[in-house]
Amino acid sequence: MTRSAYITSTGAFLPGEPVPNERMEQYLGAISERRSRLGRFVLRQNGIQTRHYALTPEGVYLHTNAQMAALAIQDALRRSQVDEQKLSFLATATTQGDLLVPGFASSVHGELGLRPMELASFQSVCASSMMAVKSAYLQVLAGEHDCAIACAAEFSSRFFQPAIYTAVERDAQAEESSAELMETEFLRWTLSDGAGAWLLESQANQHRRSLKIEWIDICSYADRFESCMYSGSASNRAAELKPWGHYESPIAASRQGALLLKQDFNLLYRMFPVWAKHYLELIDRRALRPERIDHFLAHYSSHSLRQEIIKLLEKTGAMVPESRWFTNLTSQGNTGAASIFLMLHKLLEERAVEPGQQILCFVPESGRCMIAFMLLTVV
Amino acid sequence: MTHETTATPQDVLRGLASIWLDFETQLNHVGIVKRVFEQRIRLADYHQLLLNHRAQVMNGALWITRAASNIGHEFAELRSRFIRHAAAEHRDYRLLERDYVQSGGEPAALRSHELNIGSEALSAWMFHRASQPNPFDLLGAMYIIEGLGKRVAASWAEHVQAALRLPAEAVSFYLYHAKSDEDHLSQLEEALQSEVLALPGMPAQILKTARVTARLYRLQLEELGSY
Repeated sequence: MTRSAYITSTGAFLPGEPVPNERMEQYLGAISERRSRLGRFVLRQNGIQTRHYALTPEGVYLHTNAQMAALAIQDALRRSQVDEQKLSFLATATTQGDLLVPGFASSVHGELGLRPMELASFQSVCASSMMAVKSAYLQVLAGEHDCAIACAAEFSSRFFQPAIYTAVERDAQAEESSAELMETEFLRWTLSDGAGAWLLESQANQHRRSLKIEWIDICSYADRFESCMYSGSASNRAAELKPWGHYESPIAASRQGALLLKQDFNLLYRMFPVWAKHYLELIDRRALRPERIDHFLAHYSSHSLRQEIIKLLEKTGAMVPESRWFTNLTSQGNTGAASIFLMLHKLLEERAVEPGQQILCFVPESGRCMIAFMLLTVV
Repeated sequence: MTHETTATPQDVLRGLASIWLDFETQLNHVGIVKRVFEQRIRLADYHQLLLNHRAQVMNGALWITRAASNIGHEFAELRSRFIRHAAAEHRDYRLLERDYVQSGGEPAALRSHELNIGSEALSAWMFHRASQPNPFDLLGAMYIIEGLGKRVAASWAEHVQAALRLPAEAVSFYLYHAKSDEDHLSQLEEALQSEVLALPGMPAQILKTARVTARLYRLQLEELGSY
């Protein structure tokens, strides 16, 4: 009998209270009037209405990133049919852990305090979520473990505080262009904090729905793109790349802007045709029938995707009808690697899913052009 | 595509969409294209681009009219489509000339319209296909070429203007295409609704011609200034 892997429980942790748009700067801090104006523009673009932060306006850090991950895992375990001592594999995903060393999974395992177990630490941006899920999935499928957790946590707001930006040395005479400001400002107004976790098992739930993982497809196109969403170098251009560790000290690196999180929009738009092509090929390769997808969870705002690409995909019968899209973006914000975990959790809470239905998850990562898909069947 | 007898317009569209996406992706890595996006070009680069492009567009009007003349009377509607494409090329080459002169290009250079080595290859290919009876596979070629004008050129306007600090009158070709709102996939879809796909081997040939055209079009941009 061939093994299968099922998502049998999901868990979530969103820190603090939902923060509406007009109160964001109380948490993030205001840097300049120009940046605040750009921020309001970004909010109109991304459509997010509330989000969560793990810090307070008074500067109190409510949790560490690892603590949030542990809380999400505990939530998933509490809602499951298993004894937490059965958990023997933990895969974590995050954009930035609490410590530089050791790996994030070690910190999370420490917070959980459960038995000794196998770990896998994944660090990238949004697609690290799927790396963690695939890792847990294959462990279960291969018979290495029967009970595994894949989780993700993000605490991006701590890296958006004004002091990180004002520390950068710049020529007082040279005014930054809006495009330059947008490289950093866009992310400040788009990313927020939270954690999610999925329990994977070799057997489905009894008397409750489970989600069978059919396949997970992850692909990087970093061979043809420079870094697009990045931190750790002041410039993403190959000729100008200087890792923060190559400065005489972290302070020197910070002063040169090497620690800021940036998004190169020029490069981002050039990724869209690559992603669209990948998707079209995937449809053939995996014999995917977009019209048969009942729920489409895309970790991406459809309004940001170039309209021509959407039209192209629509005309070629590759788009899942918009009525079947589900998102948590407007209420829970963009929580990077944790987004897809939280999205599925919310879908299962808010919509009745019936056995036989198919759920398609889509996670693009602009980081250095990666794309991930996962197909689930409700059982 | 292996079963031509059952090819639908959507099969062909999907194939073309795939070819287009590959093409756009690869184009983004051609030297001149990359440098336009990164705003690292000089005026001389822009002039070279305009002159090479103009030469190809002037040549293009010739193969399209040859293709139109090989289309049978029973396909009169489709023949009009080819003729309309030829008219568009005519307008395009005038805009390219104007941009060249408005940005300070030497008018004497306009006396020549030699094709670069990539354009020679593209031209030879297009004439070869255009000389066949009922050469509807050229719909695939037109999809690629028109797509460039409508989609890629659109995003170049802003970058070229910013990089070279040129007025609108010197980037009129790109600006014109940036404003052009036509959904170029819809038009192709209409053309494919006809009896064209029922012609033996036509669906596969449309895709093949699109693929070759895309590769040679890219070759032109790789060989700017190589004669």
